Amino acid sequence: MIDTLLYGVTIGAILYIFSIGLSITFGTMQIVNFAHGMVYSLGVYLFITFLPWVAGIFPLAMALAVAAMLPIAYLVERFIIRRLYGESLDYAIIATYAVLLIGADVIKYIWGTEPQPVSDPIGIPLVIFGVVIQLYRVVVFLSAIVLFIGLKIFFTRNVIGKVVIAALEDRDGVRALGLDVNKYFSIAFIIGSGLAVLGGVLYSPITTSEPYMGFHILLLAFAVVIVGGMGNLTGTFFSAFALGMVIAITGRLYSSAADTMVFVVMALVLLKDPIFNFFRKLVGKPAIS
Amino acid sequence: MSEMISTSGLTKKFKELVAVNQVNFRVAEGQVAGVIGPNGSGKTTLFNLLSGYFPPSEGQVTFQGEDVTGQPPEARVAMGMARTFQLVSVFDHLTVWENLVLSNVRFRHNGSWLTNFFFKNARKKAILEYCQESLDTVALSDQAGTVTSELSYGDKRMLEIAIALSLKPKLLLLDEPLAGLSDHEIGEVIELLQKVKSDFTLVIIEHKISKIMDLVESLSVMNEGAIICEGEPDEVLSNTDVRECYWGREDC
Ligand SMILES: Nc1ncnc2c1ncn2[C@@H]1O[C@H](COP(=O)(O)OP(=O)(O)OP(=O)(O)O)[C@@H](O)[C@H]1O
Ligand SMILES: [Mg+2]
Repeated sequence: MIDTLLYGVTIGAILYIFSIGLSITFGTMQIVNFAHGMVYSLGVYLFITFLPWVAGIFPLAMALAVAAMLPIAYLVERFIIRRLYGESLDYAIIATYAVLLIGADVIKYIWGTEPQPVSDPIGIPLVIFGVVIQLYRVVVFLSAIVLFIGLKIFFTRNVIGKVVIAALEDRDGVRALGLDVNKYFSIAFIIGSGLAVLGGVLYSPITTSEPYMGFHILLLAFAVVIVGGMGNLTGTFFSAFALGMVIAITGRLYSSAADTMVFVVMALVLLKDPIFNFFRKLVGKPAIS
Repeated sequence: MSEMISTSGLTKKFKELVAVNQVNFRVAEGQVAGVIGPNGSGKTTLFNLLSGYFPPSEGQVTFQGEDVTGQPPEARVAMGMARTFQLVSVFDHLTVWENLVLSNVRFRHNGSWLTNFFFKNARKKAILEYCQESLDTVALSDQAGTVTSELSYGDKRMLEIAIALSLKPKLLLLDEPLAGLSDHEIGEVIELLQKVKSDFTLVIIEHKISKIMDLVESLSVMNEGAIICEGEPDEVLSNTDVRECYWGREDC
């Protein structure tokens, strides 16, 4: 029971860290950004490459992988995402999906299709009530909590954070204040991308990494973002953990239904509001009325 | 008198619909201009073109003698153009005070990093004082700590105007600022505008023509995307075309 619970919060933590960037892109630009999965998987492969270079020091390789992906994220934002703003939803899906596919191909070309295991960097088992659990998973869970608090502070105290949140509420209103929304959005996008890499790296010792890893987490993360409310960062936090628990509990009872249950939950949440409302949110309010 | 803003052949098409059609609109510096017209006649679209939210399908916008047609909204704000929205636009999750401070974010980063470094606190202090002043102008000082979502619609409108004023505009565009307000609130907004109008050029879209008759010095009437009549308010309102398009409307 405790191990299921811990598995749930670990998956929840990873989903949360990954989903923040998606949620911001949804909320500010009304863009469905599949390229987020590319940043995630490429970041993890870079991490795996860096690890032996830095004598296996996990946090150092992680920092290098995040740093290496930031310029790539910037290019994706500057030359792809920004051009899609205001275009129809399907253009955004097609263009960013292409980036995701290219990313998978690049990975296959450089690293091959072999799954890449990463060993647990802590490797200390704890025994709680007679159940063995890995300390590493507790650390992952705690990282997500710390991140949540850190982001809360950033988005309520820091000027950049405040502007991003204001743009989530009313993009045109922010522009009316003479602020270049794109500049702030770029910063948020890059932070979100860095977090995607962070999530991927933290997840790598728990799972095995393979070229299509970005596709799988994206699907789950879309469910997280939709359940949590697009652009709602607190909602994203809670829905990530809730869906993480759904995955863990279903996985224990009937493992092949774990992912399906996530979408059943998502469907229930969506049906609660009329479906019409969902599409309105997805497409965004009319620019100016 | 020099021109504050002018357009030539300004046109906006949404697919087949021509929302703004070959509009030549000009407002002289210091003037208070009104824009009226029936629902869907293109008034808001005209504002969106003036303020840069839509690129025009054809034509130009000239602001203070400069062609700004390709400039984004934020650049026009920096040049001194502020606007409000038909549906009031303030940040509901922030307090009244935070709304004002946010609207002054861009002033924080003026100047070189050196002056920013040495005068950061002085500038911050000046900004805070300035925000306080703006609040006093609209008599919302008591509500400074209130979360904006709890304000009445009228107070939100006042705050939105205060924010626009705090941008120190040379040209202020107000899109139906009186819509949805009680008579008492309308009186307050009008009083405020009378008080501050000498500081800038003002263009105001309004359905409640009678309420702004004392305020505006010129009136333009839009119908089906075109300006069908403009001039002195009294003359415009006695024009037969205008009467026809407003025929049956209680406001006239
Ligand atoms: N973003 C848009 N996309 C498509 N059509 C639009 C858009 N904005 C406005 N329109 C259409 O353009 C026409 C003019 O609309 P606009 O909002 O400018 O009118 P208005 O004069 O401001 O009306 P109201 O008095 O109701 O505010 C309308 O037919 C409207 O449906
Ligand atoms: Mg309008």
